[in-house]
Amino acid sequence: MGKIRLVGRLVGRDLRRRPGPAMLLVLAITAATATLTLGLVLRGVTNQPYQQTRAATDGPDVVAQIAGFGPVTTGPGHRRHVRHHGPSAPAPASAPITRAQIAAEAGALSRAPGVTRSSGPFPVASAVVRARGLTADVEAEGRSPAPASVDQPKVIAGTWVSRGGIVLERTFADALGVGVGDQVTLNGRPFRVAGIAVTAAGLPYPNLCYYPGGSCVFDLPGPFASRNVGFAWITEPDARALASAQAPLSYIVDLKLKDPAAAPAFASAHGNQPTPTSPTLIPWQAIQSSSGLLVQDEQSVISPGAWLAGLLAIASVAVLAGGRMAERTRRVGLLKAVGSTPGTVALVLLAENLLLALVAAAAGLAIGWLAAPLVASPGAALVGTPGAPAFTLSTVGVVIAVALVVALASTLVPAIRAARTSTVSALAAVSYNAGARTPRRRPRLIALSARLPVPALLGLRLVARRPRRALLSAASVAITATGIVAVLAFHTTVRLRTVGLANGLNDPVVDRDEQMLLVLTVVLVALTVLNAICAAWATVLDARHTSALARALGTTPRQVAAGIAAAQVIPAVPGALLGIPLGIGLFAVAAPGAGVVVPPASWLAAAVLGTSVVIAVLAAIPARVGARRPVSPILQAETA
Amino acid sequence: MSDTGASVLRARGLRKEYGKGAGLVRAVDEVDLDVASGETVAVMGPSGCGKSTLLHLLGGLDRPTSGELWLAGQRLDRMGERALARLRRDAVGFVFQAFHLMDELTAVENVELPALLAGRPARTARRRASALLDRVGLADRARFLPSALSGGQRQRVAIARALVSDPQVVLADEPTGNLDSQATVEVLRLFEGLHEAGQTLVIVTHDSRIAATADRLISMRDGAFIDETRLTGGSTGNLGSLAGLNGLT
Amino acid sequence: MQQEVILAMLAKEPSHGYDLRARLRQALGPLGDAMNDGHVYVTLTRLEKAGLVSSEQAAGLPDRPDRKVYGLTAAGQERVTGWLAEVSWPKPDLAEFHLKLIAAAAAGLADPLTIVDAQRRELLRRLRGAQRAALAEPDGSAAGLLLEGIVLRLQADLRWLEACERNWTPRKDPS
Repeated sequence: MGKIRLVGRLVGRDLRRRPGPAMLLVLAITAATATLTLGLVLRGVTNQPYQQTRAATDGPDVVAQIAGFGPVTTGPGHRRHVRHHGPSAPAPASAPITRAQIAAEAGALSRAPGVTRSSGPFPVASAVVRARGLTADVEAEGRSPAPASVDQPKVIAGTWVSRGGIVLERTFADALGVGVGDQVTLNGRPFRVAGIAVTAAGLPYPNLCYYPGGSCVFDLPGPFASRNVGFAWITEPDARALASAQAPLSYIVDLKLKDPAAAPAFASAHGNQPTPTSPTLIPWQAIQSSSGLLVQDEQSVISPGAWLAGLLAIASVAVLAGGRMAERTRRVGLLKAVGSTPGTVALVLLAENLLLALVAAAAGLAIGWLAAPLVASPGAALVGTPGAPAFTLSTVGVVIAVALVVALASTLVPAIRAARTSTVSALAAVSYNAGARTPRRRPRLIALSARLPVPALLGLRLVARRPRRALLSAASVAITATGIVAVLAFHTTVRLRTVGLANGLNDPVVDRDEQMLLVLTVVLVALTVLNAICAAWATVLDARHTSALARALGTTPRQVAAGIAAAQVIPAVPGALLGIPLGIGLFAVAAPGAGVVVPPASWLAAAVLGTSVVIAVLAAIPARVGARRPVSPILQAETA
Repeated sequence: MSDTGASVLRARGLRKEYGKGAGLVRAVDEVDLDVASGETVAVMGPSGCGKSTLLHLLGGLDRPTSGELWLAGQRLDRMGERALARLRRDAVGFVFQAFHLMDELTAVENVELPALLAGRPARTARRRASALLDRVGLADRARFLPSALSGGQRQRVAIARALVSDPQVVLADEPTGNLDSQATVEVLRLFEGLHEAGQTLVIVTHDSRIAATADRLISMRDGAFIDETRLTGGSTGNLGSLAGLNGLT
Repeated sequence: MQQEVILAMLAKEPSHGYDLRARLRQALGPLGDAMNDGHVYVTLTRLEKAGLVSSEQAAGLPDRPDRKVYGLTAAGQERVTGWLAEVSWPKPDLAEFHLKLIAAAAAGLADPLTIVDAQRRELLRRLRGAQRAALAEPDGSAAGLLLEGIVLRLQADLRWLEACERNWTPRKDPS
C-alpha cells in the first residue's frame, strides 16, 4: 500500500511540476483515440437506418422490373442504362410489350410460392428533368394518390403525388437543389414539386457502382459507371403520358415474401427467365448493402485515415517520450540513489504514462462519440441516425486498450533502459548529455558538415547525434505525406470523374467523400503540427548543451535556432518524398477500382515543399525559444 | 610581462543582481577592473563569491545589470546578442572547469569547431587546429575522442580550442577544478607558456598554484573585489629556509 | 613558546601570570594540555630581565612570580608592533600564527584579516618563486622534487590561511 502511495505521490509531483509535456502527450493520444472511436462507431451505422426506412415505408422484399429494353441513346451523348440492365438482359426488342403481357407477368409473380403481398405493376417513365437550369435523367414511377400495399414511400416534406405534381426522392432533390413548391419540367412538361420522400426500394442518388466503391449491385462496366439517374413519383396518367416510342415504359412490381430472408433465393429462382417480359428481381438485401455503400465508402476513407492518424500519434508519443527521457534519467538516478529498486523506478515511469493514456482515451472516446453523428448521417435517403447503440462496450474497450498499448509501447523501452542505467551515470547524465545514451559518432557526416554553412553544420551534426530520433521524425513526416498524397490522388480522381457528370449536379457521394477526407486531412495535419513541435522541442532539450557551447564559441542565437530548425527539416525531406509512393499505394489499396492514380507533379512538388516549409516554420518556434536561453547556467551546471 | 600595453579589458561599476526585494542577490557588486595586454590576472575567492559570474560577464556570456564593460575597444554592455556572439567569436577564448568538449568529436574536431562556426573553410580550420594541438603537446592524440583522454589532456584540448581564433583575451573559469595535481601541472605549464607568448589571460580559480602564475591577483568576496596583489617583483624569500635547511628556531 | 607571544598577550592590559596561563590554555584548546606551566613564568622573568615587561607586586602578597602583575613597557610595546607586522615564515608554526591573530584581535592592535592577507600575499609570492623554479627543473630531478614539496606545503599553508580568513571575518574577540 505504501509503495502505491509513494508511486502516486511521485507521479503527482512530476505532473504538477512539468504539465507541458504531459499535456502534449495527452493531446497526441486523444487525437488518435478520437479518430479510432469515430472509425469504430461508424462501422455499425447504416444497416439500422435502412431497416428503419424499410419499416417506415413498408419496403418490399423483392423488387421486380419488367419490360426492359436494350440501351437507348438519348440526350447529350450520355449513355442511359435502363434500370434492370444485367447479364441476362433480353436482346434489344423493337416491339413494345403490351399491357396484357405486363399484367400477366405481374399476376404470375404475385402468385409465386412464398409471396404474401404485392403491389403494382407501376409504370415507370424514363424522362429528362430540368430544374433551376440543371438537367438530369429521372425515372418517374406512376403511382396513385392512395397508399400502395407494398412500398409506400414516406413523404418527409409536402404531400404525395397529385395531378401535375411530382414527388422527388430526397437525395435527388438535394442534388437538384429543389424543394417543395418549386417548378420543374419533365420532358418539357411543367410539374410542380409536391413533396419529397424516401424509399427503401431504391438507392440514393446517384446510385450504384460509382467509384470508389464496394461491390456493385448491377454489373455495369467501367470504373466510372455512375448511373446518375434519379427517382421520382408522379401520377399514373402523368407517367403514361411521358412514354414515347424511343423511351417506352417499364414496370415495377413490389413483392412481400413470407420469409424475407429468403429474398435472394427467390430472386435467383424466379428472375432472369428467357421471355420477352423477363423480370429482373432484386432482393432487399442487395439494396441494403448498396445503400450502405455510401457510408462504407466513407469507411474506406476513414479506416486508412484512422490508421494513419493512429500511427502518427504513436510517432508523436515516441518522440515525446524520448524527449522526456532527459528529465527522467536524472530522476531515475535520484530514485535509485535513495534506494528504490529498478522495479519501482520502472513502475513510476510507466504509471505516469499509463495515467495520461487513460485520461487521453476518455477524452478521445468523448470526442469520437460527439462527432460521430456529425460525420455519419447515412446518406440523406435513409431515415434514422446512428446514435448511442453503435457506441458499444467493445468500442470503449478497444479504444482504451489501444491507448494503453500506445503509451506502453513507446515508454517501455526507455523506461527499462532508464531503470537499468547505473545510478552514478544517471545522476551524472544531467544537462551534459541530456539522455541516457551518449550521442553517436558519424565521422563522415561530421566531415561533410564541416563544409556546410553554419546552420546546416549544426543541423546535420544534431541529426547525426540522434539517428533514431531522426528516423522517427522522418517516419512521422512520411505518414503525413502519405495521407496528403492519398488525398491528392482522390482529388485527381474526382476531377476525372466529374467529367462524366456532365450535367453539373452535385455528386453527393463525392461531396461526402471530400468532406470526410477534409476532416481526416485536418486531423492528420493537426497531429503533424503537434509532432513537429514535439520533435523540435525534444531536439532543443537534447541540444541544450551543444547550443550553449556553440553560443559561447560565438554563434549567434539566430544561427543556433536555424540549426535546430535545420535538424528537423533534414529528416523531413526524405520522409516527405517517401510519402509520395506510399500515398499512391495507399490510395490504390483503399480504392481498388481506380487502379494506380498519380497526382500531377506540380501538386506533389507543392506537397513536399509545403511540408518541409511547414516543418521548418514549426520548428523555428521552440528553436528560437531555446536559442535565447541564458548560456551561463547551462555551462556552469557542473560547478556546484 | 609588459603592463604598458593597451587595456584589453576594462570594467567600471560592473554589477549583476538576481531576484528582487528581500530576495535580491548581488552576484557581482560594483567591480572595477583593468587588464592590460599580455597580462595574466587571477581572481581568487571562496565558492559563491561571484567570480564565475564575473568571468561570464567579462566574456559577454551574461548581461550585467549595470555598469560599463569594454573588451577589445568595444562596449559590451550595450551590444545586442548578435554583436556579442561575433565579439566572442573573434576576440574571446573560453576555458571551462568542465572542459565542455563534444563527446562525439575527436580532439582535432573539437579544436576546429570555433573556426568552423565562424565560417572559416574546413581545410583552414583543420590546419590551424592541428597546429594548436601540436603547440599544446597533443599532436599524437589528435584523433582521440575525449573519453580516451585524461583530464589534463582534455583541458589542454579545451585550451587549444580557446586559442583557435587567436583571441585577444582567454578567460578561464576554474581551469584546474576537475584535475588532479599532475594534470594541474600540465595546465600550469601551458599557462606559463601562453603568458610568455604575450597572451592576455584572466583566470578565475581557488587553486593557489594557478593563481601564482598571475601577474596580479585579485581577491573577491561577496561579489566585490577586496584586495589586489602584485605578484611580480617582491621577495621570494630564501627557498632554503622554506625547506627548513636553516635549522629550527 | 615564542617570547613575543607572551608580550602580545600583555598588550591588552597588565595581568597576572596565571591569567596569562589561562588565556593561553583557552586559545590553544586541547593542544594546550601539553603546555608546560612553568614555561610561562620563566619567559616572563626573561622578558622582565630584557626590559620588555615590568612587574608590580600585588599589594600585601609575598614576592612570588605568580602573584605579580605584569605589564608591557614601551620597548615591549614596540616589540609587539614589530612582531605583528613580521611575515617571515621559517617553518610551519601554526600555533604561533594562530595566537598572533588571537592576540591582535584581543588587544585591538590590528585587524586579524589584515594580518592574514599580508601573510597570504607573502606566501603567494614565495609560491610563485618556488613554482617557477620547480617548473624550470628537468623532469625527475631531485631538486625538482624538493621544490615541488615546498610548493605543495606552501599551497597547504595558503589553504589554511584561507580558512583563517573565513573564520576571522565574522568572528569576534574570542577572549
